[in-house]
Amino acid sequence: MLDDEVGLFEPIQPNPPRTEREAEFYTLGDGEMLLNVGPHHPSTHGVMRVVMKLDGEKVVDLDPVLGYLHRGVEKLGENADFHQSIAYLDPLEYVSSLFCEWPAVMAYEKLLDVEVPRRAEYIRVLSGELNRIASHTLAMGFQALDLGGITPILYSFIERDEIVEMLAALTGQRMLFNYFRIGGVNGDLNHDFMSRLGDWMSRAATQIEANMGLLNENEIFVRRNRGLGVMDSETALRMCWTGPNLRASGVSFDLRRAHPYSIYPELDFDVPTRNEGDCLARYLLRLDEVKQSLRIIDQCLEQMPDGPVMAKLPRLLRPRPGRAFAAVEGPRGLYGIYAMSDGTDQPFRFRIHDPSFIHLQSFTTLIPGHLIADWMAINASLDPIMGGVDK
Amino acid sequence: MSLIPGLGMVRGMALTLRRFFEPKATVFYPEVKADIPPKFRGRLQLLYDEYGTLKCETCFQCAQACPIECIDMGGMDPKGRFHVHWGAAETYGERREESALRRSGRPVPDPAYDHFDPLDMRAVDAILDEHDADPARLLAILEATQAHFGYLPVAALKRISQVSAAPYALIYGTASFYGHLRFAPADRSDADAAASARRRPAEADYLAGLGASLAGRPGGDA
Amino acid sequence: MTAISRTWGRLTLPGKVVFTLVPLLAVLGAGLIAVVVLFGGAAADLVTANLGIVRFAVAATVILVITIPIAFLNIYLEMKVIALMNLRVGPDRVGPWGSLLSVVHGLKVLLKEDFTPTGADAVVFTWAPVVTYGAAVMTLVVLPFAPGLYAQDFNIGLLYFFAVGGLGVVGLLMGGWSSYNKYSLLGGLRSAAQIISYEIPLTLSVVGLLILAGTMSLNQIVQQQSGWFTDWFVFRQPLGFVIFLIAAAAEGNRTPFDLTEADSEIVAGFATEYSGMRFGFFFFAEYVNVFILSALTAVLFLGGWNAPFPVPHLSIALDPGSLGIPLLFLIALVPVVATVVLALPFYLVRSSMRWWVALIVGFLLFNVAAGGLIFAWAFISFPAVAGLVWFLVKAFAFVFLFVWLRATLPRVRIDQLMGFAWKWLLPAALLNLFVTAAAILVVGPRA
Repeated sequence: MLDDEVGLFEPIQPNPPRTEREAEFYTLGDGEMLLNVGPHHPSTHGVMRVVMKLDGEKVVDLDPVLGYLHRGVEKLGENADFHQSIAYLDPLEYVSSLFCEWPAVMAYEKLLDVEVPRRAEYIRVLSGELNRIASHTLAMGFQALDLGGITPILYSFIERDEIVEMLAALTGQRMLFNYFRIGGVNGDLNHDFMSRLGDWMSRAATQIEANMGLLNENEIFVRRNRGLGVMDSETALRMCWTGPNLRASGVSFDLRRAHPYSIYPELDFDVPTRNEGDCLARYLLRLDEVKQSLRIIDQCLEQMPDGPVMAKLPRLLRPRPGRAFAAVEGPRGLYGIYAMSDGTDQPFRFRIHDPSFIHLQSFTTLIPGHLIADWMAINASLDPIMGGVDK
Repeated sequence: MSLIPGLGMVRGMALTLRRFFEPKATVFYPEVKADIPPKFRGRLQLLYDEYGTLKCETCFQCAQACPIECIDMGGMDPKGRFHVHWGAAETYGERREESALRRSGRPVPDPAYDHFDPLDMRAVDAILDEHDADPARLLAILEATQAHFGYLPVAALKRISQVSAAPYALIYGTASFYGHLRFAPADRSDADAAASARRRPAEADYLAGLGASLAGRPGGDA
Repeated sequence: MTAISRTWGRLTLPGKVVFTLVPLLAVLGAGLIAVVVLFGGAAADLVTANLGIVRFAVAATVILVITIPIAFLNIYLEMKVIALMNLRVGPDRVGPWGSLLSVVHGLKVLLKEDFTPTGADAVVFTWAPVVTYGAAVMTLVVLPFAPGLYAQDFNIGLLYFFAVGGLGVVGLLMGGWSSYNKYSLLGGLRSAAQIISYEIPLTLSVVGLLILAGTMSLNQIVQQQSGWFTDWFVFRQPLGFVIFLIAAAAEGNRTPFDLTEADSEIVAGFATEYSGMRFGFFFFAEYVNVFILSALTAVLFLGGWNAPFPVPHLSIALDPGSLGIPLLFLIALVPVVATVVLALPFYLVRSSMRWWVALIVGFLLFNVAAGGLIFAWAFISFPAVAGLVWFLVKAFAFVFLFVWLRATLPRVRIDQLMGFAWKWLLPAALLNLFVTAAAILVVGPRA
């Protein structure tokens, strides 16, 4: 094997190829070259390696290599209590941590038959929607950054900083909140949080519109994104897309309306949908979702009931043996946890369903035929978070 | 979009120019500290209540609940009879030095080692002088020590470590790697000697074959 | 000898510095005086005999030297202005308002490890930054900074400018190809395509102006724009101005056309494998290019060193020598008196300020005032100073414009960039040319 002449810096192919697809990928045609958009790269959203087969600047084929951020979370959680396993789930989609804890907590509550107090549900929805706004502004900022605009990312960080400071006043941490508990939340609303929230809500809509609107009409941005990475609704459904990516392709599927959970049935909001299915539609859809989240936060604040924020639970939890699946509508799509318990105080298994992982599988559908610069744009518009992809 | 091509860009530029003159969002850190919310959990400090007493009761609930077992703590039992500790051995209390020594490669003051016979260190010192106490010539030093004593006494290894400044783990590892060096007198390790004698021809064959296949390549046999 | 080495060992670091520098300077000074005394007359005769060559040599040296502060200033301006537009502060700690940061960056770049990657073509790899930087610097030779303040006034100055400036792309290609790295290759090829595509609209957009001006000499173009600001060519060639600006942004690899060094796509483009001073050369070359293109825009379209209104020629002739001995008293007394006078208000009003702090403040204020007065006198009396100031103001206004564009706009894609150049800018430049020629035919050539 070592006798073969290997070019100095070629991506080293698995030898022998493990599948036919790999064999086909690593055979270069005339004039094609392999480029390693490696784990060290300024615009993979985390550590992701993509081996691209290029014909000049045009991408002919792609081979994403994942797993650089794999931390073995699912296995680690098996050695912890049910309470402790929630803390392991935060760093998955670290930008929107509350949506990583939420389905786990819901699944365990199903196994324990715990009823969550209404105030706790309202607080969960409130903090979740705040987290959704923070995540979407960040995603839009990164979409601009990957295209070369260095200003919108900083404006979106200003937005996110305010929201994250608010959540720090509520939960105690700026990121990786570890706030949801089985049976409720950890700590009621406090004065610090409410004053920051009130102050922010009074100027949120105009501020977000002004900051994020820098690029909405920019001709260069629009021409880079319009008509790029178009996914029609059938293919999107077949590839199991969810979330804003699916809604931008015309399918109006939102878990908060399709399989309602928590107190979403009592809240009045629209599900924004766009029909074009290109990168620009995904960008504008995230902006629409931010506005709907602001509506939801308003209603939560008005309708907030009194009561306890945590159900009464024993210290050592032993759910009944069984399985439970719970999913929430995260900022990237359907985020689900399938939990199995065998009657002991440690979960037997929980399987994480992460939407970014599913979306990354459609690289080979969307990208061949476009240029490298288009790969950046499409990757950014799909908004993957590698922490969730690799778990 | 807009009728005049380029108008969107111009509006974007007007926005950035306006932002050029607006007050900045930077917090000038050492002079101005951002206000930390009271509920912030990142402060590593024990809290006091309004009377000045420490709130922590050393109930160990936090250490038990921590998912990654990073808390370690200790305290007296309520009646003041004994000291309780909870935490990883490397960082805590009585066994801390021992764990640190073990990880550093220095010899651990394990009571088990107290039973070895005190040795005449002059022979070991002579061997070390002869080889200039150079850790690069460790194999020669060990072979000479074994030639003198018939085996490698632990006291001798500790002396070698002390004089040559090589970590004890290095010396122990080197000694245990080679089949002809042993830690106990020959009569007590016949089976090991026999097994290693059986392995040696196979090792020689393997080395010869590897050298042949690497012949002529950089790093291989010439 | 041992006594000297023992004494040397006992000195502190400042002592070592003083005891090295002072003897060295003394020896050098004595040597210089000796040379001047012995050969001064002959040297002066030689210089006056070959004044043109000497003048050119001095000008070329000055140009080489001033590119460095210009590049530093541009780097600092870019960091600071983009930061302020991003609602953050940018460089703040090193020097007042962070102004010494680019100097520190230059030092840092000198101290980095300088390596050639494995497989790279060493000769080409080493010479690439030199070619790019050299091409950028050589174009400064024809730029008129002020009346009389130019290195050389070719009658084909503009042609020389475009020809030599276009050599910069050779350096980028050399760097991209020789790095033995696919990212660099992509960056180098992109830059070749981009710069060659935009050379044509760049030069064509100026041809209309050349027809109007009737000369390619930059000095004469500036002289034709003297008078009121309505005489500037920007009002007679607005379309040419716009095309020139866009093409200049593309030539200088500035956003929105910075695909050759697109940070988020191909890491650093052609400069991926460069580090240390070689990368510093590429970096400097880019920022000097920004200045050069802005300066050229100012010279061609905005009147160069002309003021916006015709300035009556004043001349305040000062003759301090006529005062005689009282001049010495003035030199001794005025700074002291001014310092005390300016320090008094601070000392009297702020009770916490100690007297020597007030004196320092007064001295600094006196320096600022005296410098300002001298500068104002020079501005009024010497057209060169005034011209230089106007030129720099206009050039840096365009530098600000380029930085502002970089802060706001995202990047275009390579095929969009080429399409824009060939399908839009080239026809627009041709249109500009035809309209100008037709107008001249109809209206008649201007005097």
